[in-house]
Amino acid sequence: MPSDQSREAKQATERDLRLDFFRGIALFSIFIDHVDWNGLVAQFTLQSVGFSDAAEVFIFISGYTAGMVYGRAIERQGLVRAAMRIYHRAWQLYVAHVFLFMQFMATVAYLVDDLNNAIYAEEFRAADFLKEPGVAVIKALTLQFQPDFMDILPLYIVLLAVLPFVLVGFRLWPAGVLVASFGLWCAVQLNKSVSLAAYPGPDQVWYFNPFSWQALFFLGAWCGWRGIKGRIPWLTNRWLFRLALAGALAAFLIRFSWTLHRFYDPFPALFGRALLPLLSKTNLSLLRFANVLSLALLAARLIPPQAKFLAGRAARPIVMCGRHSLHVFCLGILLSTIGRLVINEFLGGTLLQCVFLAAGIAIMIGFAALMDWFNAEQSLSSPQVLQASTTDRGG
Amino acid sequence: MAGMFLYRTMQLIVAAGIGLLCLPGTVLAQEQGCAVPASFYDTEPTLPKTAEAIASGQPVLIVTIGGASTLGQAAGSPDLAWPARLAAALTSRFPAARVTVLNRAVARQTTQEMAARLDRDVIALKPTLVIWETGTTDAVRGTEIDELRQTIQDGIDRLRASGAEVVLMDMQFSRHTHAIINFDRYENVLREVTDANDVPLFRRHDIMHYWAESGLFDLMTSDNTKLHLLASRLYDCIGRAVADFITRGVHPGPGTPAVSAGE
Repeated sequence: MPSDQSREAKQATERDLRLDFFRGIALFSIFIDHVDWNGLVAQFTLQSVGFSDAAEVFIFISGYTAGMVYGRAIERQGLVRAAMRIYHRAWQLYVAHVFLFMQFMATVAYLVDDLNNAIYAEEFRAADFLKEPGVAVIKALTLQFQPDFMDILPLYIVLLAVLPFVLVGFRLWPAGVLVASFGLWCAVQLNKSVSLAAYPGPDQVWYFNPFSWQALFFLGAWCGWRGIKGRIPWLTNRWLFRLALAGALAAFLIRFSWTLHRFYDPFPALFGRALLPLLSKTNLSLLRFANVLSLALLAARLIPPQAKFLAGRAARPIVMCGRHSLHVFCLGILLSTIGRLVINEFLGGTLLQCVFLAAGIAIMIGFAALMDWFNAEQSLSSPQVLQASTTDRGG
Repeated sequence: MAGMFLYRTMQLIVAAGIGLLCLPGTVLAQEQGCAVPASFYDTEPTLPKTAEAIASGQPVLIVTIGGASTLGQAAGSPDLAWPARLAAALTSRFPAARVTVLNRAVARQTTQEMAARLDRDVIALKPTLVIWETGTTDAVRGTEIDELRQTIQDGIDRLRASGAEVVLMDMQFSRHTHAIINFDRYENVLREVTDANDVPLFRRHDIMHYWAESGLFDLMTSDNTKLHLLASRLYDCIGRAVADFITRGVHPGPGTPAVSAGE
């Protein structure tokens, strides 16, 4: 069937807009949640769709993209070159992490007088990084100090660092790798002490436990890697689809009742007391894991990769942001820190928050558009750069 | 009218942070300045035992456990901490009530550390009501969220099993700390756990935000004496607000004013 083959080949070369679109949505959600997790607007981000939130979506799609892009790179350029590209990407993330840390320390320096001379000064003496900023710097460089919202990049960095080995594993014995990855996730679920120590100790751990979150990332990577060779047959299974639909719907209804309960107290929060302990984000609990997978399956089945609306004007800003995820993500973290400073400085309520969120998202979109334009310019002057810039977006 | 005008002007002066002219005595007399809109309270009063005991004049023992802001160090004296102000507010509001407030706060403790001394410091006293102020040190030190949720749940269960009623209090509001400390996650845990257990949560953070917004407190000063004044004013307001909060279901007997006119 030559026509089928050529269509698949064409699909493989075209960018899957769904990935960019949903990653863009996740980036906006992360930004909004970071400005004020308990704020009004944050009640309607990805966290309101089910048990999982933007972090799961972001990590899964990043895994998928990384598996696809670097899987292809291994086929075309060989393992060593592909691994070099992965570590180059990890290095970029590391530099971004250090940059965000600098920004955090600058904020601390700016506020330190206030922290020492306010009613709450006594409470802040518990903050180790104020007592020993030198240690904090070293711990940030070793990814152990993850203040504020600097917790997702360290996870991403260690996952990328392991990715070359996992991709080799996929070629040799994919089932074995997947079982090992899932087994590690199970180990965390059974024993919470399977975790990475963080600063300040002794009890602190990474907010995103890499031993459990790797399962989501590498499952995504496997889907992306396997997807290069064509369809994954069992993903189109009708019963799997129904199961995912039922699961996602139930999760949505339960989660929606919590949102309603929040705004209107007499409305009951369904299963709230029973489910809350089962929704560990740090360890990526079963409910969260299952929820994000079912959402991914539904999105994959219901939305074609080149759906009209994804290529349309309305979706374009979101797709653009998703395409430049690392830059937009860092910008979002930066903006959310500034946002919390500004909003609290002016004692702003919901209105100021909405204004700031709108401005922040506009800045993110404007920035992504600028990157798009710049890349296009570059590719006009040298086709070599296009190759690098389009293919280096894995992860 | 003139009194009202003067009062407003004073409020403005305080808000601008120009002159904290008031000495502690007059500061504490500022009655209506720190009123809290009813929207900050849960709809239903859920402390029947405490309300009943206060209304009927039976002895009521309230034990507070918490951190530096409950200990009241910023005000300079334990008498100026909010638990002491709570006792004063309750006594003035319900003269017939026999309320004792014991403050068992220790600065800079995590929820885990507080929970570890619940039995000895709190339950052993057989309190009618326990007010547990927590979350700040956990946010500052970055306690694991799941562990915090579990610790609070266990603490609530143990306190309730001992026969005490429980109120939780969240962190203080500050204009600047949100930019470097991730309080949201911890606030969210407090909100979720109290909601799931029908434990009233005194939303100190939001209430202080409201006060700051309405120009009552600046919460920021470099001068130590001013800091003491500011803190004692703030703690007095919190004490009053907590008194309001826990006595919503109390119907005072005849002759007792529903809201005290002053001290």
